[in-house]
Amino acid sequence: MSSLDSVLPAYEEMDGDLADINAVDALKSVLLGLGEEGLTDRGRLIDSYFNRQGITFSLAGRERPLPLDLVPRLLSAAEWRVIEQGVAQRIRALELFLADVYGSRAVLDDGIVPRRLVTSSSHFHRAAWGIEPPNGVRIHVAGIDLIRDEQGVFAVLEDNLRCPSGVSYVLENRRALAHVLPELFTDQRVQPVAEYPERLLDALLAAAPAGVADPQVAVLTPGVHNSAHFEHAFLARRMGVELVEGRDLYCRDDQVWMRTVRGPRPVHVLYRRLDDDYLDPVHFRPDSVLGIPGLLNAARAGRVTIANAVGNGVADDKAIYPYVPALIEYYLGERAILPNIDTYDLQDPEQREFVIDRLDRMVLKPVDGSGGYGLVIGNQASDQQLAKLRAQVLEDPRRWIAQRIVQISTCPTLVKDGQLAPRHVDLRPFAVNDGEDIFVLPGGLTRVALPEGSLVVNSSQGGGSKDTWVVAEPDELLYTPPARPTPRLTRVLAAVPARVHSPTTHDERMRQQENQQQQSALAPAQEPPC
Amino acid sequence: MLSRIAESYFWIGRYLERAEATARLLAEHHQLMVEERTVPEELAAAVLLDALSLPPQAASNAADLVAAVVGTSSDPATVSGAITMARENARGVRESLSADVFEALNAAHLAGIRGPIVATSPAYALYRVVERLAVVVGQVDWTVPRDEGYLFLSLGRSLERLDMMSRVLAVRHDQLWPEGGPVATLRASAALNVFLRTQHPMTGDEVRRFLLLDGDFPRSMRVSSSNAEEAVRGLSSRGASDGGDLLREVGLMRSQLEYAVDPTPDEVDSLIELVQQSSARASDVVAKAFFRPVGTIVWSN
Repeated sequence: MSSLDSVLPAYEEMDGDLADINAVDALKSVLLGLGEEGLTDRGRLIDSYFNRQGITFSLAGRERPLPLDLVPRLLSAAEWRVIEQGVAQRIRALELFLADVYGSRAVLDDGIVPRRLVTSSSHFHRAAWGIEPPNGVRIHVAGIDLIRDEQGVFAVLEDNLRCPSGVSYVLENRRALAHVLPELFTDQRVQPVAEYPERLLDALLAAAPAGVADPQVAVLTPGVHNSAHFEHAFLARRMGVELVEGRDLYCRDDQVWMRTVRGPRPVHVLYRRLDDDYLDPVHFRPDSVLGIPGLLNAARAGRVTIANAVGNGVADDKAIYPYVPALIEYYLGERAILPNIDTYDLQDPEQREFVIDRLDRMVLKPVDGSGGYGLVIGNQASDQQLAKLRAQVLEDPRRWIAQRIVQISTCPTLVKDGQLAPRHVDLRPFAVNDGEDIFVLPGGLTRVALPEGSLVVNSSQGGGSKDTWVVAEPDELLYTPPARPTPRLTRVLAAVPARVHSPTTHDERMRQQENQQQQSALAPAQEPPC
Repeated sequence: MLSRIAESYFWIGRYLERAEATARLLAEHHQLMVEERTVPEELAAAVLLDALSLPPQAASNAADLVAAVVGTSSDPATVSGAITMARENARGVRESLSADVFEALNAAHLAGIRGPIVATSPAYALYRVVERLAVVVGQVDWTVPRDEGYLFLSLGRSLERLDMMSRVLAVRHDQLWPEGGPVATLRASAALNVFLRTQHPMTGDEVRRFLLLDGDFPRSMRVSSSNAEEAVRGLSSRGASDGGDLLREVGLMRSQLEYAVDPTPDEVDSLIELVQQSSARASDVVAKAFFRPVGTIVWSN
């Protein structure tokens, strides 16, 4: 708590001890070599690339591209190993926690997490109690938000276990950068990210109800007006599965069906990007026009798998977050590899008083908020805002958590006029759990707060993104010659005749054709001989 | 229709198709060389040059490879060259070609593939070329009457498409880049989405089988051979027939693909080879039967 009173400088990603020095040097020399004008040009090109491809998110009804910064964020292999292991560990523990909460509830009986926090969570759904996922997985996809504190230590900011979005930008950013700035990749060994859709499909197939020979997977979207619709379409396209809306589906006899021109076809796994509340009007909001009545009963009957599972929100509730390190100890008997940020439980009178006295040095977040909405950063708020906040906290402390203000790490970023300047970044690695193994996509989405000094990286608050490179160790990527020899085709090709036809380039004919025109233009007076 | 005109239509079709397919192949090959730096650049460059029948010494790294395959207007095996040749052929038949087609083709030729962007962001530049060529093809679709000229153009497109697909498959991206290779082959054939929707899993062998045998995808060898056959039948019903050799050549190729039963990877390879040779033979027959080449006779000495 002493660190509250002294503001430490933010950690600079590219200058850290753990940074891969060779990779950083190579990157710097390319960027500096481009010059201000070159950088500005490429920035424009990348914007036009995204606009043209329609890689956008909607904000207040307007489609806009997520600004991609030209400077990639580098992670050395050593840095990445910590993140990879830490994220997988956290997900293993949270899976066990969810199974427990929607099962025997031993964790509550043992007093590891206060029962009141679970039962008062707006994302705890009694309707999900007793639904056993076929392969035991509830968190098929997770996005764990990390930040790097003043010492350069990666810490968890929040967990996203419901519908974490942004992975499509990870793939598109890589492709866009390689399109527009290929020279950046010279002398780099960047771990590829393109396999994500395949991994996700495998995990969804592994989660299918038992006994289904050829499971049908579909992605459920709220529709084109949803801010993340591009991503929903992207994932469906890259997995080669149907993208469905609620109105395309119906349930009969505990089975989910898709309406097609060839009649109804069953759906066995639904990767839904729709909130619990809207999923099934029979159990949740009765006014939902986006959901499928009877879906939850079909899941309970074991005829369809909903991914991610219903009710996961209780585990990524911001009020549960402070207890995650204890949950890791409790379930796995391990220390958390990735620490939490110091967080205050405002329902505890002592901690509440401590926070209320220091509101101007705290970040306060609504527990059920996302996208940076409702977040208050103490030292950037007016007295009026703080007074209002104080009243709100005292009125309903369960709705808020408080954290110290962390100067999150910075990374060089292209700002106006081709200049590079430090801007604050976070990192959202994406993990896929197929029941046997937790795959963490190398890199993840780096979000960057573009306004100078801003600590809020959310895309809904003017954030951009960076391509994130996990720089592989040299021995990881060696070319091995193919097992099967390349067929003889190309040799046959070389001998093939008739690949060329050019009617007008026969030199003599061309010359004479030209001469004809000259004669008629220059010597009209001459009489043709009879 | 004059043989000279028919020949130009045929080659406009071939060069358009070649320019477009080569641009896509280069863009995706280069993208892999950039993103997955596991294969020595020299090897990756040599493989593409070989597949395109370009001289092996033309490039030994990614940047030189782009320059070599974008090429110059004088080499018709390159992107620039193919566009120039398409336009030269069109120039010779302006009076019979729709003005819209000529204008679109001329615009593609004039825009060229130039400027610093070709060296700095080649994939970006190459896909702009693909777009301009799409305008030409769109104008053909909208404005060209379905007469002999159109049929010769279609036949040229189909035969070149078979030839280019065999070159795309000859690169064997999957053997060079086990991770990203199959995706690159599919992107180079504009087949990624359709493959993902209909096939699983994505392996090099499955991708080759798909691009050889799929019955719906317009660039698959099976569909191209069927299009070629249709064009030949159309010509003969209008009285332009070579006596049957041509129809036998393309018909045999089409039926071999249409009735192939679950071929093994090795059988797929031999079918690809068969298609390659058969389409080249067909092109020869077309030239001999319809264009009746005469040498330039010079009355001197």
